[in-house]
Amino acid sequence: MNPGLIELKEVAKYYHMGESIVKAVDGMNIKVHDGDFVAIMGSSGSGKSTAMNLVGSLDLATKGDIYLDGINIETLDESDLAQIRGKKIGFIFQQFNLIPNLTAKENVMLPMMFQGVSADDRSSRAEKLLKLVELSDRMDHYPGQLSGGEQQRVAIARALANDPDVILADEPTGNLDTKTGEKVMAFLEDFNKKGKTIIMVTHDPKLAHEHAKIIYQIKDGKVERKLKKVNKKWKPFR
Amino acid sequence: MIRKEIINYSLRNLVHKKSRSILTIFSILIGITAIFIFISFGLGLYNYVNDFKTSSSADKITVMPKGMSAPGMDESFALTDKDISAIEKTSGVYQATGLYSKVAEVKQSSIIRYVFLLGFDPDKPLIMELSNVKVIEGRMLKSGDDGKVILGYNYRIENKIFSKAYSLNDEIEIQGKKLKIIGFMQEVGSPQDDSQIYTTTDFLPSLYPVAKVNYAMAVARVDISNIKQVVENVEKELRKERGLEEGKEDFFVQSFQEMLDTYATALNVIIYFVVLIALVSVIVSAINTANTMVTSVLERVKEIGVIKSIGARNSEIFFIFLFESGFLGFVGGVIGVIIGFNFTLVTGAFLAKLGWSFLAPSYSVYLFLGCILFATLTGAISGAVPAYQASKIRPVDALRYE
Ligand SMILES: Nc1ncnc2c1ncn2[C@@H]1O[C@H](COP(=O)(O)OP(=O)(O)O)[C@@H](O)[C@H]1O
Ligand SMILES: [Mg+2]
Repeated sequence: MNPGLIELKEVAKYYHMGESIVKAVDGMNIKVHDGDFVAIMGSSGSGKSTAMNLVGSLDLATKGDIYLDGINIETLDESDLAQIRGKKIGFIFQQFNLIPNLTAKENVMLPMMFQGVSADDRSSRAEKLLKLVELSDRMDHYPGQLSGGEQQRVAIARALANDPDVILADEPTGNLDTKTGEKVMAFLEDFNKKGKTIIMVTHDPKLAHEHAKIIYQIKDGKVERKLKKVNKKWKPFR
Repeated sequence: MIRKEIINYSLRNLVHKKSRSILTIFSILIGITAIFIFISFGLGLYNYVNDFKTSSSADKITVMPKGMSAPGMDESFALTDKDISAIEKTSGVYQATGLYSKVAEVKQSSIIRYVFLLGFDPDKPLIMELSNVKVIEGRMLKSGDDGKVILGYNYRIENKIFSKAYSLNDEIEIQGKKLKIIGFMQEVGSPQDDSQIYTTTDFLPSLYPVAKVNYAMAVARVDISNIKQVVENVEKELRKERGLEEGKEDFFVQSFQEMLDTYATALNVIIYFVVLIALVSVIVSAINTANTMVTSVLERVKEIGVIKSIGARNSEIFFIFLFESGFLGFVGGVIGVIIGFNFTLVTGAFLAKLGWSFLAPSYSVYLFLGCILFATLTGAISGAVPAYQASKIRPVDALRYE
């Protein structure tokens, strides 16, 4: 097997709440390979989002090591991490998190701006990506003028803007009804087929089983079970 | 390259948050307008004083009665010809002359005005050198000019002193006598000076037949290199002449230099005060701007989280906010300067109309550029602190912020 694209080794994240300590993530081990579709599954409060934020370097771990492409992110400075977030990772959030005063197209162009892509290239790539998520006719609309499902598709296009290796999606369908949720999932699955690694956080076992290839089941900040789809059957693995 | 795009992003934000931007600009421009107005008038006063310093007045001293209100008002004080020649004989004095200053009744049709009538010796026009005003129309008085006068500037203007303006060679009724106008003085900029009338020392007493006319003051041209000593010498000689003990003088001798210094000190106090007010208003507007910037940052913490998650560096976020506040400062500065400039033009013209033309605003390129630069810096600095804090927020915390 090729070395892990992303690897968490004994990672922990503690929050100090006055006297007590909340162990949101507590000794987690995860290994994600190139081209995987991983679901991080668990009940609410089990530490899924915290773990994903650590992977995306949106947050810093209390303990343990996180490797991206074999590099310990602890050794990187703020500017390097920003570069990683901009180039290697695409985020999709439950609340979409589009910039309200920018149009759909401008939102998609934004990540490219921070990588110094020329205005012409940004424009043509944003148009291409919006076409891919079937929003060609909504490019000049503001987020407030779009439905939830449409906003999430803009967010997907934005996540793909700098052609990242990994897409991190935290409850991407959490704010959507089943039907629009399915459409979003179909896009993610499609991108995975085209070679993108996807890590999806969800509390919904059905969603995880239907779309992912690997499932990490989380409980109390630890990995409780690891499952892998082999010939349409889920099998534990080590 | 990236910078240009980020500037574009900032500008879009400012346009989007129109009312907030306008509010910030407004708070800055108030301070800048105030500064501009105060400094341009302060500069005008400063230049006014400086013009005097380089004038022909520098080598003059004056002798006046002590504790009087204005020359000619104190009838108990009398400088005699003997006093004048005592002054003239003092070492360091080149020339001395006595001046009459009387209140005169001037009549046009049925309207009567009381103004100061100044009598000086045309062969020793030291008072003209001292006050540094010139004839702008007609000619100067010369000895033998009986029945002739030079008028202050305001007599040339309709509805200023009288409803009808006077012109050269007209007659004017002073103290019941018709006198010929042979000249007009240039504008001084104060109503009193510009309504003054000038005639010769030989002629003036004939307008006041009832009482003896005395000199109200004396002016002397002296050795400029030794002015302090000369002033002391004159005091000593006059004391002797008038039979007074030291400390009991009924007169005082002042060099123009000294006079100017007191005047300049007073003006400087005003200028400092004015600048102080301006600074206070700047500080207030800076605090206001900072407050607006902090609010604006707090409003956008979530946005900061989002753009961090898509690859914005701390330095880029800092730049976005710094640029926004600096730009608002710049716009506020430009508008403030424009408003201030127009305000001073209008008030300057208004003050000139009232005869206070020495209160004229003065401008320099540095004033314009300085105000705009200052506004930009105020904006940038007051935005820098919240911008720095904004840039340091952890993405995860920023994203969770509502
Ligand atoms: N900033 C925080 N401060 C304190 N406790 C937190 C913070 N973020 C998360 N937690 C706690 O950590 C635990 C895991 O949270 P989270 O990772 O969001 O769970 P999940 O995404 O699985 O629902 C929860 O108990 C939550 O209350
Ligand atoms: Mg969560």
